[in-house]
Amino acid sequence: MATIINANATSKTPPSTAPPVEPLNNDAARLYTHIHPVLVLSLYAFSFSSLVADPASTLLNTLAPLAILQIAYVAVCLPPTGGTPTIRKQKPGEKRSRVPSKLENGLNGKIVPAFLSLLLTALAATPLLTAILVLFGAPVTTHHPHTLLCGAHVALLSTLPLVYVHGVNGETWRQVVALLLPIDEVYGGLIGTVVGAWLGAVPIPLDWDREWQKWPVTIVTGAYIGYAVGKLLGGTLLKGKKIMFD
Amino acid sequence: MATRTVLLTVANLLIPVSILIFATGFFPYKPFMPGLAEYEELGWNRILGDDWQKPPAAPFDKVIFMVVDALRSDFVFGEESGMSFVQSLIRDGTALPFTAHATSPTITMPRVKAITTGSIPSFLDVILNFAESDTTSTLATQDTWLAQIKAKQFDNGKGKLVMYGDDTWLKLFPDFFDRADGTSSFFVSDFTEVDNNVTRHVPNELLNSDWNAMIMHYLGLDHIGHKAGPKSPNMIPKQKEMDNMVQSIYSAIENEDHLANTLFVLCGDHGMNEGGNHGGSSPGETSPALVFMSPKLSKVTQNTIKESPIKPSRGNEFEYYRMVEQSDIAPTLAGLLGFPVPRNNLGVFLTEFLGFWDETPNRVQLLYRNAKQMKKIVEATYTSLKFTDEVLETGEMGFECFSLNTHLTDGQNLACLWQRVVNAMGNNDEFEHIYKFMHEAQDTMSSTASNYDVSRLVFGTGLAILVCALSYLTLPSFRPITPAGIYYALTLVLYAALMFASSYVEEEHNFWYWATSGWYILLLLSNLRKEWYDKWFFHPAIMALVVHRVIRRWNQTGQKYAGADDIVNSGIFHGNNSFVLWALIGATYMDIMIRIARHVARSIATFDNLQNVQNAEIESTDHHRMIGTVAVVPLVGTAFVFKLAFTAKDAPELTAGITGGMMESVETLNIVGLAQMVFGGLALSGIWIAFAEWQRSKKRVATRQEGNGALAVAFFDLMALFLITQTKAQNIPLYLLFRLQFFFLRLLNLSPAAVTTTTLLLTQTSFFALGNSNAISSIDLSNSYNGISGYNITAVGALVFLSNWAGPVYWSLASILLLGSHGSTQRYIETSELHVADWVTKEREYLNELARKEEKGRESRRDGKEWGRHVALLTLPKFLFAMAWGVAWHLGVTVWLGGLAWWLGTW
Ligand SMILES: [Zn+2]
Ligand SMILES: [Zn+2]
Repeated sequence: MATIINANATSKTPPSTAPPVEPLNNDAARLYTHIHPVLVLSLYAFSFSSLVADPASTLLNTLAPLAILQIAYVAVCLPPTGGTPTIRKQKPGEKRSRVPSKLENGLNGKIVPAFLSLLLTALAATPLLTAILVLFGAPVTTHHPHTLLCGAHVALLSTLPLVYVHGVNGETWRQVVALLLPIDEVYGGLIGTVVGAWLGAVPIPLDWDREWQKWPVTIVTGAYIGYAVGKLLGGTLLKGKKIMFD
Repeated sequence: MATRTVLLTVANLLIPVSILIFATGFFPYKPFMPGLAEYEELGWNRILGDDWQKPPAAPFDKVIFMVVDALRSDFVFGEESGMSFVQSLIRDGTALPFTAHATSPTITMPRVKAITTGSIPSFLDVILNFAESDTTSTLATQDTWLAQIKAKQFDNGKGKLVMYGDDTWLKLFPDFFDRADGTSSFFVSDFTEVDNNVTRHVPNELLNSDWNAMIMHYLGLDHIGHKAGPKSPNMIPKQKEMDNMVQSIYSAIENEDHLANTLFVLCGDHGMNEGGNHGGSSPGETSPALVFMSPKLSKVTQNTIKESPIKPSRGNEFEYYRMVEQSDIAPTLAGLLGFPVPRNNLGVFLTEFLGFWDETPNRVQLLYRNAKQMKKIVEATYTSLKFTDEVLETGEMGFECFSLNTHLTDGQNLACLWQRVVNAMGNNDEFEHIYKFMHEAQDTMSSTASNYDVSRLVFGTGLAILVCALSYLTLPSFRPITPAGIYYALTLVLYAALMFASSYVEEEHNFWYWATSGWYILLLLSNLRKEWYDKWFFHPAIMALVVHRVIRRWNQTGQKYAGADDIVNSGIFHGNNSFVLWALIGATYMDIMIRIARHVARSIATFDNLQNVQNAEIESTDHHRMIGTVAVVPLVGTAFVFKLAFTAKDAPELTAGITGGMMESVETLNIVGLAQMVFGGLALSGIWIAFAEWQRSKKRVATRQEGNGALAVAFFDLMALFLITQTKAQNIPLYLLFRLQFFFLRLLNLSPAAVTTTTLLLTQTSFFALGNSNAISSIDLSNSYNGISGYNITAVGALVFLSNWAGPVYWSLASILLLGSHGSTQRYIETSELHVADWVTKEREYLNELARKEEKGRESRRDGKEWGRHVALLTLPKFLFAMAWGVAWHLGVTVWLGGLAWWLGTW
């Protein structure tokens, strides 16, 4: 779809884009960032059979666990809005300034932005993604809860971490939409989720007569798998690269 | 450059050649037995006695053959059937019910062939079905039970036939009938007239004693299916009407002496799917009902199932009673009426009727004659194998019949089964062996897998690969890699992969809808990168996607969701709401009228500023707009009135909301004349505009100016009017939506590669959105006789193609305008235009090459698919469609029409 080249190699691109997001520099973050996609996929795998049997209520029931997982992920692993923590180099022997207590730091610096991003995900990203699902062929006259909940899952997977790290800066979001941002595990997760959901529509028309072909099981499946793959690639192989058009 | 042109030309010419060679190898070879069968010497006198071969007395001397088109099994046998009289006969044991399996293609003409000859018509008959005037496709010279009845000496002389109903029979059997009245199924909205036209003849014919076979073919039930599906409220009343007909005929048989020995057959030629259409191989389409009726049948129904209504078998919801083959009808009639089995028959005498003959030798003779006739076809197919009437040693056979170790080919298996028949003659177990042979022969000969001409398949495929190689040689460098190019390549790769899944052949539209949606988003992203658009939710790419979302819902197509809700059938256009539809249609015509008026105004302006040549290209049309409109109104008005008059006849439910005096006067108009006026007007306008533009181009040459391709735009708009004339009323608003998409796409300033991808996606999308699919049943013939009063195969063929491929034609022309930005400016043109035109020519070459590459890819994929799938019947129709795309589309439209439009644009 687009070629990917190393951002460092091009001096042409304006330097105004945000740098790739680095996960927090502590052991818990480094560990949990790898456990998190496994947990998300397990949640999906665990609820798969009931998802096939009764998509709407299963999607509703797994919404809260997914939200909690995502909030835990952003809180543990990612730097909140505005603060890519500059890793201050300490001169040997320099005296440490007062470090705020852990609890205080967590509440102000993490939990509040996390819930704000949850709120934004619910109020802005979910309706928007649901509208896009409809534009891509989701049923208009039936299955309203299915489509809305599917949009909510896609939103939780794709946009919640992104809001957490980038906030509501219009310019950054413009760059997000125009695929101008350098790839990192958060942006990779977004692209992976969306592309995965799109590819998830392919098996629906096949005449295999499987229960799981019904709306929106394959879309949700594509989104979850796409999220895991996109996050993994974005955090490792493609980290820091930019998507190039033309 | 020159070699490249030569290579490209050769490659383009080879595409249809390779397709045709592949097709001749793919359509199976069938041995054909000319002449009429006669009772022949059978042998076996030493074992079975000297007079065992005397043809046994026939229980019947007359047959009434009542075909109800698309009479699916459940319409007669099911619990919701309206045919209570037939069901009462089944309970009484005076009717023998079957489900008669109809092979694909399930359309009327091949089915009638199967019923009358007992053979299994190939897909070539489908093509002939559309080319009905072709005399080679008649059955006049073939062996059928009609020909046999005509040749047989009855008590009152040679057999006589009468026929009422579908004129397919008259076309297939010219000069066969002493009395006949054919009806054509031209307007599917006609539920009653076509049937009354049959019924009104029946009472008189039942009083006549001179005929030996009366054929009736009712079309109303099929029309109801096409119009509103099997669950239509008209369906049960129609079944009741048919049931009443059966009742009056049956009571005549009971009461009239001259009808006492009449066999009454009621059958469907095919069934219908949940959408009410047919042509494919779904269970609903292949399961018509078959009922034999006569008071005399009580002799053979002691041990048969008499429960009625009944539930279908568990495996197949349309299988009631015993499932037999449709071809079994021919040999069964031969036995019951006492004439030889038609020579090309692959049917098996229905075992239930053997009870009419009390003596075993008679039964053996009947079956043996049937088997021997089939054996001749088998023999002609497998010429290297021995099918003699003597017991052969293994050495003489050339292979071991009874060894468990060797794997027998189909032909060897049949030879062994025939040996068993020969061995069993006179041993009292011959029935079992004869039936085994016949059923096996029927299966083998009707599955076409063994009858490919492999060398032609290989040759055709080889040519296709050569074409690919040639066109790759001519391709320019792939660099720079663009997102459009990558998306294009990915689309082709994925399409090729998905074509291996047979369900994606039926659901192909889903792929194109899906790929198009993704493409619009990609266009959005790549545009937003270049220039941010604050109201991005109203970005042209998003708007085009919104329009696309409406377009894809317009007509439900494909098999999986056949009959599901779509915009056309949602009721917003039906009955009293039809003014909504006509308002939209009116808007579509109005838009085209304004456009053509502008072209005419421009053409008039050509002649009034002769002295002021400098300003020839300046917008000077405004003061001629009035004259232009006045000149165009009659043309577009006639086109609109034609559509209204045609729809009033073809789909009256769509004009129900238009009331008053207008509709009454419209309905009396001559639609053939109207269509001719529209076509003539279009041609005249085209010629006039071309003439004016030619004058302009001369002036431009004199002043060294460049044109802006206004003629190509005019050609496009006139073509659009022609295409909507060839489109069903309910689809015409789609062209308004296409126009909207075109408008938004223009705003996007697409690169040539992006135009190529857009063209590919939109030609495919529009094909399916107009209600077409890869099923033969979706071919729409209703607009194929516009302006034609007689039968003209070239004209009808062209109109069939153009009315079914109208969407793709529209988009391929539109894309040429997208590519060249024709007519986008009516302002003064700078001299820099000159090198821009150079650039455009280059890019156009690139586009053409990409388009060719796509065709090649399509073809090689198809070939590969056919090889891989090894003849699933489902893909056969797809192959026919691929032929249409490959030959007519590629050569006719992409190369010829597209080239013409481009050339006109360069004036
Ligand atoms: Zn029919
Ligand atoms: Zn029909």
